[in-house]
Amino acid sequence: MHTSHLVWGQTMAVAQRLLLEQWRQKRGLIFWAVFPSTMMLLFGLVYAHNDSMRAGLDAAAAGILVGAALFFSCLGGTVAVIAAERERGTLPRLLTTPLHPAAYFLGVVMAQLLLALMQVFMLYSIALLIGVQYHGSLLLGGVVLLLSVFSYVGMGFFLGTRFARRSEEVVVALSAIGVPLLVLGGTFFPLEIMPQGMQAVAQINPMLHMNQAFKGVAAYGKGFYELRFELTFLLVFCGLSLGLGIQSYLHLLGVDKIK
Amino acid sequence: MTAVLEIDEVHKWFGSHHVLDGFSLRIDQGEVVGLLGSNGCGKSTVLNIVCKLLSSDAGQVRMMGEPLSELSYRARGWVGLCTQHSALYPDLLPAENLHFFARLYGLSEKERKERVPELMHRFELENFAGTRVGQLSGGWQQRLHVAVSLIHRPKLLVLDEPTAAVDLEARMELWRLIEGLRDSGTTILLTSHHLAEAERLCSRVALMRSGKVVAEGSVPELLSRIPGQAVAKVQSENNEVIMQRALDLGWQARQRAGQLRLLLPHDLSLREVVESLEGTQVSAVSVQPVSLEDAYLELVGENASVGQGLQDV
Repeated sequence: MHTSHLVWGQTMAVAQRLLLEQWRQKRGLIFWAVFPSTMMLLFGLVYAHNDSMRAGLDAAAAGILVGAALFFSCLGGTVAVIAAERERGTLPRLLTTPLHPAAYFLGVVMAQLLLALMQVFMLYSIALLIGVQYHGSLLLGGVVLLLSVFSYVGMGFFLGTRFARRSEEVVVALSAIGVPLLVLGGTFFPLEIMPQGMQAVAQINPMLHMNQAFKGVAAYGKGFYELRFELTFLLVFCGLSLGLGIQSYLHLLGVDKIK
Repeated sequence: MTAVLEIDEVHKWFGSHHVLDGFSLRIDQGEVVGLLGSNGCGKSTVLNIVCKLLSSDAGQVRMMGEPLSELSYRARGWVGLCTQHSALYPDLLPAENLHFFARLYGLSEKERKERVPELMHRFELENFAGTRVGQLSGGWQQRLHVAVSLIHRPKLLVLDEPTAAVDLEARMELWRLIEGLRDSGTTILLTSHHLAEAERLCSRVALMRSGKVVAEGSVPELLSRIPGQAVAKVQSENNEVIMQRALDLGWQARQRAGQLRLLLPHDLSLREVVESLEGTQVSAVSVQPVSLEDAYLELVGENASVGQGLQDV
């Protein structure tokens, strides 16, 4: 069997296993669906109640998707996958097989990508039902989402391999790191209403640029040129995040295998 | 005989700790070799090197005649590892676990469709086909773990204390299954704290101390190296008197962890032993033929720290 054929088969095996596990963990799946749906409905109710805010609902939907749903699903999901492999002792087991390092990484990326697509479909179905409109290019929106998912998965590998030793730590770590990033990323409040100091800090938060890029496309119909700064920032961050994730994963292969 | 594994003068340091100190071992095709030693003697390090989870600092390891260090990660398919804790996916069914690992080893769909039911049948897992692995008992999980280790027909099956975490009944069942593997010609490297396990399953045993093999051979060969045919285990308030009497009788005496063992040159009856020790304040005595446990204590030596499972001595 050619190496590329083997690696592809292994990638698919890892991705399918993760999706099957996700499907079997019914309780987790329910929370995975309830969290963004509830947020969307609550935001919808608040915006509908205030005429002056109604125009902002399109941006709110985009923010909930990129800033909250995908953050917890892709970043949190990746950290949880690695913590679970450690806890169950399956990580050293995998290292005794001919599993190619790239196959495991790509398998996790593929599974998270599929889950993210399902979340996009679910959230935007609700959003469209309550009157949200998507204004921009589907292709550009897809590119922003893809870069966001890759960034989150890369960060997930970094945090999961370096810090999360147990599943319980995942929840605490995500809350501790994630919620401040969500607030500073403009997920809940527009950047403009924040104090000047917070606005300055928010500029280095990659989630702000993800939010602004996707809101720009989805809510304001902006094109590539208008969003060039956000897209460039996102592209660089995505590269850095994937690089960090891969480097951390390779470090993990060298450290955990002897335990 | 074709050597499946040849380990020659391997050294390994963890910092200043010399874990393997010229470790050598050869395993031929179809052999079941037991690696016995106290905790920390280097058994796990040997297994990690064989499974390519760790590299040696000096010495040579060959698998099927080829240097292990020069083999790619795909050579991991030559070894199947089963540890004491079943590292499986609890939300998947037994066959799904087998299929997953089969795909990692590159088995085609056709091969998987033959191999998975074959192993499910061999390890009697069919009745649990619809049960998630996390809901199986420890013994059944361990059965599946051994099956997973065999999914790719490895040239060497490494069993690292496979029955350490299961109850007595499950242990007996696993022994029966491992005997079946041995009888069908599977080459196995086994580590264990249960000497009875090694005695029952292994065609050859290597005794380790301080990172090297101090004695190896079949169980009868190792037993023949004990200066006695039977052993009397004696309890007394005054071991010194009994040891002097044993020396007068030409018997060898060993005292470890407060227990006195007398190596008897002939297969003496209990009555003969009691009569010989008359007047020496013996409170209890038992006589039995020498076992691997006696060989271990005799050959591994005074410095051996007696590990879990060997504490019965």
